[in-house]
Amino acid sequence: MLPRSVQKWASGCTRSLQPRVCTRPFATSPPRRDAIERDANGHLDVGKLLSIPTWSVASLLTPKDQQTPTPEVSSKQLHHLLRLSALPPPKDTAEEAQMLSTLATQLHFVKEIQKVDTEGVEPLRSLRDETAQGEREAELGMEALRGALEQEEIRGTHHRRIRRKAGGRDGEEGEKWNPLRTAGRKRGRYFVVEGGKEG
Amino acid sequence: MQSSTIRTAPSHFARALQCTSPGLIRCPRPCIVAKWLQSRNLTTATPAAQEAIPLRKHLKDEAKRKKADAKRDGNTASTKSGADPRLEKWELTVGIEIHAELNTACKLVSSAPAEVLETDNGGMANSRVAMFDAALPGTQPQFQVATLLPALRAAIAFGCEVQRKSGWDRKHYFHWDQPNGYQITQYYQPFAKDGCLVLDASDGVPALDMQGADRLRIGIKQIQMEQDTAKTTNVGSSTYHVDLNRAGVPLIEIITLPQIHSPQTAAAVVRKIQAVLKSVDSCVIGMELGGLRADVNVSVRERGTSGVGSSYSGVSGLGQRTEIKNLSSFKAVEDAIIAERDRQITVLEAGGVIEGETRGWTLGATETTRLRGKEGEVDYRYMPDADLPPLVIGQDLVKHLTSTLPTLPDQLQQDLQDEYNLSLKDAKTLIDLDNGDRLDFFLRTVHSVTAELSISSQAQIGKMVGNWVLHELGGLLTTHQRSWDDVRITADELRDILVCLHQKRITTRVAKQLLADLFQREPAPAARPCVEQLIETGNLRLRPLSEEEYRDLARRIMDESPEMVKAVREKGQKGKVMWFVGQMVRQGEEGTVEPEQARATIERLMGG
Repeated sequence: MLPRSVQKWASGCTRSLQPRVCTRPFATSPPRRDAIERDANGHLDVGKLLSIPTWSVASLLTPKDQQTPTPEVSSKQLHHLLRLSALPPPKDTAEEAQMLSTLATQLHFVKEIQKVDTEGVEPLRSLRDETAQGEREAELGMEALRGALEQEEIRGTHHRRIRRKAGGRDGEEGEKWNPLRTAGRKRGRYFVVEGGKEG
Repeated sequence: MQSSTIRTAPSHFARALQCTSPGLIRCPRPCIVAKWLQSRNLTTATPAAQEAIPLRKHLKDEAKRKKADAKRDGNTASTKSGADPRLEKWELTVGIEIHAELNTACKLVSSAPAEVLETDNGGMANSRVAMFDAALPGTQPQFQVATLLPALRAAIAFGCEVQRKSGWDRKHYFHWDQPNGYQITQYYQPFAKDGCLVLDASDGVPALDMQGADRLRIGIKQIQMEQDTAKTTNVGSSTYHVDLNRAGVPLIEIITLPQIHSPQTAAAVVRKIQAVLKSVDSCVIGMELGGLRADVNVSVRERGTSGVGSSYSGVSGLGQRTEIKNLSSFKAVEDAIIAERDRQITVLEAGGVIEGETRGWTLGATETTRLRGKEGEVDYRYMPDADLPPLVIGQDLVKHLTSTLPTLPDQLQQDLQDEYNLSLKDAKTLIDLDNGDRLDFFLRTVHSVTAELSISSQAQIGKMVGNWVLHELGGLLTTHQRSWDDVRITADELRDILVCLHQKRITTRVAKQLLADLFQREPAPAARPCVEQLIETGNLRLRPLSEEEYRDLARRIMDESPEMVKAVREKGQKGKVMWFVGQMVRQGEEGTVEPEQARATIERLMGG
């Protein structure tokens, strides 16, 4: 499950098909327009463009020198959390200090993610072609239903009624397999289930 | 083979148990699982006991009931249980959810056939199961586009707005009739919304509900497509047989708004929905065969108040509702609502509080039974199905289906009454009979008779043709116990008979005889004489008698039976005149005596 912000960014990019640098909602530095160099013919040096990363997840972590405004996690809270998660308690104070600092950066990370504005953004359901072209291809109109419409006939001359012709099958011919072969318990052509209480 | 550790019923016993009426579990078990099983309506033996009640019988029963009610209300010392005064204080509100099986060749998201085919033992249990229906690991659903046609037609017939994009969601619960562990439905984005159903008094809506208007509109909140579950049969005390043939068959769920205020209206709504779905070929299996099931939500509130302030989809000010699941006949819908309403009123008047629970109804019971309380409420964990792409419906398809939609029953009924001068009862019967074949026959006959006689308006002969098609042909079919497929009389033959009758070339009695004769003969490839030939050979042409001959015949009959003459003349029993007419027709030569003339003659002789 990708973060919603990434999905928004990605869909923003696919909507416009020209390659351009999109604004990144959680970037800590402005987009580096100087990185895009074109040679005399106007061609892009893709290798050079992609060699320097423009974003790193490290931007979400607390810089070492920055004072974190987040409330500290106390030692008592840490021990409680470790007990709830069935994790072993820290062996000594050094390990405890390390655990606390890791926890603080993790919490900072989550808070940064939560700052993203997801107003009006639908949660991602699956990775599909969300372009207008993709939607047009997925549309079920007269063409897609032509086969099914041909399987119908009109009955009657004055009082016309639609009747589906029996036997016409849209899907592939029935897979010839025996579902009962998978059954542990069966009786004749039925699966058998015991519905009583346990025990 | 019988395992010694499993005590299962012997097979003949199992068959007998299968014949129990649906909803009736042999050994009542108090555990919550059993109650929930009943709520899922698992003991679905084919309800062969319930038959479709023909329209005329239904109308007769309604008339009888109304007369009995009127007589009872007429008695001032009414011994009624007091439901009437209670109903003046309490108002009922009902919302209905109908699940109807779509008329398709394939299942919803798998390629197995949805219907029984004659070939390859389609009728055997577990013979129409795709791998996805059996939930084999790694199988994927694939939407079968042909199932969209009947669903769209249903949505258009109810005037719904078809949504361009709709989604598929999973409704999770564990049960052996749901191998995948979830049902594929359209919870968040149904494919059709905001339709309406129009009823009037002739559909069975009581006058109180109509409130002076001539139509009642019930809003339809949405229509969505979903899968059906497998069929299970209870054999023995706690053993069940599962048949996955039905798992995955497409259903539509039609949800009405809570705008229904009486049990009779609720039953009328269900009946109307079934009729509309049948007329557009969406759902052709009726309620009595298990193709349509209804769940009702019942609540009461004091008139003039806003209940406990519940609301549903825009209708607010309602009381706490309870749901009654799996009603499988129109009568069950009505009776269950009445029982639940009475129970709720009793609880509220005693100062109690209604809990939002799920209840069940069995045939012949007096009260609904509790299946599941609030604490037993299942969390369905609805989530979008990631395997199925969203459903995108093209506008061109919707336009095409709207323009080619068959005429709906309401419109048909109105046309029959306006253009062909049929009565409401006759129109309704004609629409329902024989899947519309008889109506087609009627229309063909009327058109050809009108053309033959060069009459401008069809209303003049519409009624006559209607009588012949409904009553004469109907009578012949019942006496000879044949179905409409074997009627053998063609529209042309009936046209010839009726044209001759209209032109007074034969009498009514002769016309009926001709009909009966042609009815008996072998159908088309064999030689069938035409109507003209039959009239010639049987010498059945009307040879009208002169006034003299009528008087002679009349006098002869009057001389033969002086007591009857006395009865008419002295005792004033005018009805007996028709007896004389009958005698004249019988004694006169075939095709000579016209009843109207005869009656006029008799009356002249009697009076004079």
